[in-house]
Amino acid sequence: MSEKGEVDLTGAKQNTGVWLVKVPKYLSQQWAKASGRGEVGKLRIGKNQGKAEVEFTLNEDLTMIDGLGDKPSGVQAPRDHPFTMQTVGGQTLAVFTETQSESSKDRISLEGLVVQRAECRPAASENYMKLKRLQIEELSKPVRLSQQLEKAVTTNYKPVANHSYNLEYDRKKKDEGKRARADKQQVLDMLFSAFEKHQYYNIKDLVDVTKQPVSYLKEILRDIGIYNVKGTHKNTWELKPEYRHYQGGEEEKETDD
Amino acid sequence: MASLGGSSSSSTEYIVRVPKNTSKKYSIMAFNSGDKVNCSSWTQARMERDMSNRRMYGVEETEEGAAGSEFGKKQREEARRKKFGIVTREFKVEDQPWILKVNGKAGKRFKGTKKGGVTENASYYIFTQCPDGAFEAFPVNGWYNFVPQAKHRTLTAEEAEEEWGRRNKVVNHFSIMLQRRLREQERGPDDDDEEGEKGGKKKKKKGGRGGDLRIHDLEDDLELSSDESDSSGGEDGDSKPKKKGGDVKGKGKKKKKKRGSDSEANEDSDDGDFEGLEVDYMSDESSSEEEAGEEKAKSNKEAVPKGIDEASESEEESEEEKQNEEEGKEEEEEEEGKKTPVQTKKKRDSSGESDTSEDSDIDGEAASALFMKRTPPKRGGGRGSGGSSRTGSRPGTPSIDSASTSNTLRAAASKLEQGKRHVVGGSSESPAAKRLKMESSSMAVTTQSPAPSGKSTPQPPSGKSTPSSSDVQLTEEAVRRYLIRKPMTTKDLLKKFQTKRTGLSSEQTVNVLAQILKRLNPERKNVNDKMHFYLTE
Repeated sequence: MSEKGEVDLTGAKQNTGVWLVKVPKYLSQQWAKASGRGEVGKLRIGKNQGKAEVEFTLNEDLTMIDGLGDKPSGVQAPRDHPFTMQTVGGQTLAVFTETQSESSKDRISLEGLVVQRAECRPAASENYMKLKRLQIEELSKPVRLSQQLEKAVTTNYKPVANHSYNLEYDRKKKDEGKRARADKQQVLDMLFSAFEKHQYYNIKDLVDVTKQPVSYLKEILRDIGIYNVKGTHKNTWELKPEYRHYQGGEEEKETDD
Repeated sequence: MASLGGSSSSSTEYIVRVPKNTSKKYSIMAFNSGDKVNCSSWTQARMERDMSNRRMYGVEETEEGAAGSEFGKKQREEARRKKFGIVTREFKVEDQPWILKVNGKAGKRFKGTKKGGVTENASYYIFTQCPDGAFEAFPVNGWYNFVPQAKHRTLTAEEAEEEWGRRNKVVNHFSIMLQRRLREQERGPDDDDEEGEKGGKKKKKKGGRGGDLRIHDLEDDLELSSDESDSSGGEDGDSKPKKKGGDVKGKGKKKKKKRGSDSEANEDSDDGDFEGLEVDYMSDESSSEEEAGEEKAKSNKEAVPKGIDEASESEEESEEEKQNEEEGKEEEEEEEGKKTPVQTKKKRDSSGESDTSEDSDIDGEAASALFMKRTPPKRGGGRGSGGSSRTGSRPGTPSIDSASTSNTLRAAASKLEQGKRHVVGGSSESPAAKRLKMESSSMAVTTQSPAPSGKSTPQPPSGKSTPSSSDVQLTEEAVRRYLIRKPMTTKDLLKKFQTKRTGLSSEQTVNVLAQILKRLNPERKNVNDKMHFYLTE
């Protein structure tokens, strides 16, 4: 859905300040597992001799890291994460949101400006090292793997008397039967309505559309149409000029036979 | 919130929440600090996705159900693309850039392009403080770098390259954009005048690197338009530098030469000065290119414009001519000759004057053209017909070969007819003219009243004297002989009287032949869509 329209500038007007924090991937994964109201931890902001110190502590229940396949890997996420504060110079960062509610009420609103940038770093701990190791192991596994098989594979292609697909096809053909010659007038009607939709047709397509035997159809076509040998529409049939009446949109001029 | 006391530190704890089910998607809008964007100063803003990259699959390809469509074309095209491994990237709306318009139409515009790779290795979160003191963290969905869009005019790539080549020579940088604006301005008024002739202009350009139309173009443009555009261009040029100079002083730009801009803009030596003044195509050099294509057709160039002038002044005359000439070939010639100069009058491109110097024929023609002006109008008709030989109804056939002249005759005549209808007519006439030609001018001739102009004043066939004194074989007798023997087209006839053998120029040949045919008044019949003449005595 295209989002267009007025931007809600309340955030900008109020000069709401927000923080932009870069968070490691594993931490965001853990946060995604949060339950209830979404509490993930505590943020401690302190002033230590003039310098602001910010630290984030992960909740206990969110420290279980899942290994491959959602099973506990025995590694625990570190809990303490000091924040490294940075300035926002060089760029003016604003935050905007797109609200996409049902019934096309897309709204874009400016939430505020970034006043502080921070990076969330895990405190170097044993847990973290183990976690990192696990990650590296997972990543270093090659995507493609060569594996030797003990036995030759014999289950792929077995000789079959007749493929099931083929059987179906034959049955379908038999049911359809040979194409019968319908009344010439009817065929003409079918042709005209077909040519109303498109100007150029392949003989095969026409056979499909009209369900007539090829030779009969060709005879009729020779009457009312011409065969393009050269040009962009090669090997296609089109109606004779006196029969056709295209006008950008399409109009068909039916002629009496 | 718990406060932990410390000796020299005090900290407060806040709870961090990551809300789970927000429908809001957060993104970052990054501006360069050099742009000095102050979001709080915005009164209103509009932002939407820039969909210009979306290829409308239905529109790009041929319309469905329209003439020219094929059954199953889409599938075939898709299969073809797959066969060749052409992978078209999907158009994802979320990845499209944003267009941000601040403070309405007169305000700033920004384009925000998505920055890739933001969420690959680390996630960004926005921490906002809630009223209850807790922090809420929202993940950032995308990062868009917004750059302001220039509203002022910029140079295109070609122009920029040009200027780069002259960067050491050009001192006055303001004149660059100035000239560009001048150029556009000139193009503007010209275009306005010639709404209808726009198509003609294009046709002309196509037709002609050797085409008839182009030739007319230059000549007439030179004569007639140069004056107008000169004056207008000149005025514009003058006023603009002055204005620009004023602006410059007012703004006090960093460039040093701002005071000198006025004088510099007017100096001859300045490179940029002559850029915009395309009307200045009086010099031989500039016209030389156009020359190349027109040499052959030059012969009657002068003649035609002059003939056209006559025609426009005295329409009766040309009409009389038309009625006289039964085949109507000459009519067509005139038409075309008159028509295209009329068209070209308005066109800007020009180098006509120099043409005169090139070809000796032109001089001869000029003389004859002048001569023509004084002689009775029929002369003009004849000239016109001669002239059109070069114009040729077929674009891209500059040769004045007798073979082509017949076609040109017809085209010219038909065009003249059309020209009568709308003297200022647009090029839309030319296709009509061509069609007319195909239908054969007999209609025009036999009806004796070119409906368009409605100014038909019948005039008894005048005895035109055979212009050339040196014709060895191009006599009425000869033509009569040929026509009695078998029906021939004008083309065939012209072939018989080749310029080399008769000593006539092609234009003269055409003229004479036209007169002879007029006198003979042969019967016409249509064979294979071609008009044949024959006599039965």
